[in-house]
Amino acid sequence: MTIALAIDTSTSRTSVAIIEAGAILWHGHRDGATSHGDALPALVAEGLKGTSLIDVVVVGMGPGPFTGLRVGVAFARTFAFTRNISVVGVCSLDAIAAMVREEFDFIIATDARRKEVYWAKYISGARVDGPHVDFPAKVASIGLPIFGEGGVKYSIASDDEIVYPDMVALVAIAANSASQISEPMYLRRPDAVPTNERKP
Amino acid sequence: MKHDPVVIGIETSCDETAIGIVRGRTLLANVIASSVEEHARFGGVVPEIASRAHLEAMLPTIEKALYDSKLTLADIDAVAVTAGPGLIGALLVGVASASGLALGLGKPIFGVNHLASHVAVDLLSHDEPIKPTIALLVSGGHSSLLQVDDITSSITKLGETMDDAAGEAFDKIARIMNLGFPGGPAIDREAKLGNSTAIDFPRGLTQSSDWQTRPYDFSFSGLKTAVARYLEATPNFVRSDVAASFQEAIVDVLIRKAVAACRATGIDSLVIAGGVAANSRLRIVAQEQCDKFKIALRIPSPLMCTDNGAMVATLGSLLVSASRPPSHIGFEADSSMSVTTISLTL
Ligand SMILES: [Zn+2]
Repeated sequence: MTIALAIDTSTSRTSVAIIEAGAILWHGHRDGATSHGDALPALVAEGLKGTSLIDVVVVGMGPGPFTGLRVGVAFARTFAFTRNISVVGVCSLDAIAAMVREEFDFIIATDARRKEVYWAKYISGARVDGPHVDFPAKVASIGLPIFGEGGVKYSIASDDEIVYPDMVALVAIAANSASQISEPMYLRRPDAVPTNERKP
Repeated sequence: MKHDPVVIGIETSCDETAIGIVRGRTLLANVIASSVEEHARFGGVVPEIASRAHLEAMLPTIEKALYDSKLTLADIDAVAVTAGPGLIGALLVGVASASGLALGLGKPIFGVNHLASHVAVDLLSHDEPIKPTIALLVSGGHSSLLQVDDITSSITKLGETMDDAAGEAFDKIARIMNLGFPGGPAIDREAKLGNSTAIDFPRGLTQSSDWQTRPYDFSFSGLKTAVARYLEATPNFVRSDVAASFQEAIVDVLIRKAVAACRATGIDSLVIAGGVAANSRLRIVAQEQCDKFKIALRIPSPLMCTDNGAMVATLGSLLVSASRPPSHIGFEADSSMSVTTISLTL
């Protein structure tokens, strides 16, 4: 069976899991919107103590705040390179949506900072619109139940149980080639403001 | 380790994705992907543009370096990466990439100081060990005089700039003279056509009272203001003369203070490192003055002075050879890392 190293750094939670055939062999997470850089390698190191033989790396491609998101993608790529295995990226919002019952239509919203959310709309469990980045009020005005960290943060969520991507779902989604994406979803262009800092 | 360690170095502190591979003190590969052109129209480095470019360039650059080195991943003994100082978002791409390599390969990781790496890279071009030495570190963000007793364990700061770094002054003057960005190479080129004694620009912190209180500190903001005023007051100024005179003022102060540090400490060795060490006039004046005072001068080749991965790999290799402990997996990148922190250890 295939053993996947699953990584998501698109929310304030750094999540890592090692998953075989839908079963979690190991999982760990650390919360903190600016701690992805130190949390991710530490979590993976811990996970690898149990199972070092990895067949594929699955990584959440966001959308998410850029710096944290890139930590996950950068790590996933070089780790996979050393093992000569592939990296499969998926939309992180889909791995949150997988936790919501499919009977009704809903929206997943994560925190995009700057008082905005990343969001997408799901009908019967399938993403039909998004991801986009907008102000919470606009997303709330659509009138569908909202789940995810952004919904919770801006008090527009239907519950506070479904917040972060589910790592089993992340790997399951990656198995569908139509869901695979290869580049991080930034959704915003860089602020074109040069730094005052100079080359060290 | 019986053989010389093979170390891969990753540098992403600013706008260059740079990978170097060394075996011991032998350079095997040095590949640089730069996003400098994407920043040029903004007149400075845009952090988010740099960070996105690092992520895109990382794997292709690593692959090219491995290809050039004629090695495979299995040959690598350790991974070294710039842990700071630099732009935090840019550093994090490098540290995450290096951590992925180290964990994937099951090899140790060394989170090293970019500034110490600038000094260490000299060991690729010179055989004799560099301890102890005075080091003049001059780059876009730093101008410091250091006493290096051991490049793997002991660096003391003797002085630093009070305001602008030398490279920053070059950038700013190049900008007001419309010479382009980055300013260092542009002024170096223009100055070659001019007279360096045409205009007597001020030398900061070189009054006799300064030599008492701040002998090894620098200040370039007064010089910058003086050049700006001169340009304003002199409508038909000679561009090359201004460039040459400005450059001479900076070089004069840097070398005078570096030589003074050597003489005061009795250390007859000087390493000049960092991007500004690529300046052709600085290299000439440094050699003249060091010859005069019998100081052994070492300046890396111009290619090795500017940011690169080989310098990071070299410091990593020296740390391995000196049996220094590696960094713990999951160390934090430090955008304002002090030059006295050579590598991150537990
Ligand atoms: Zn530098």
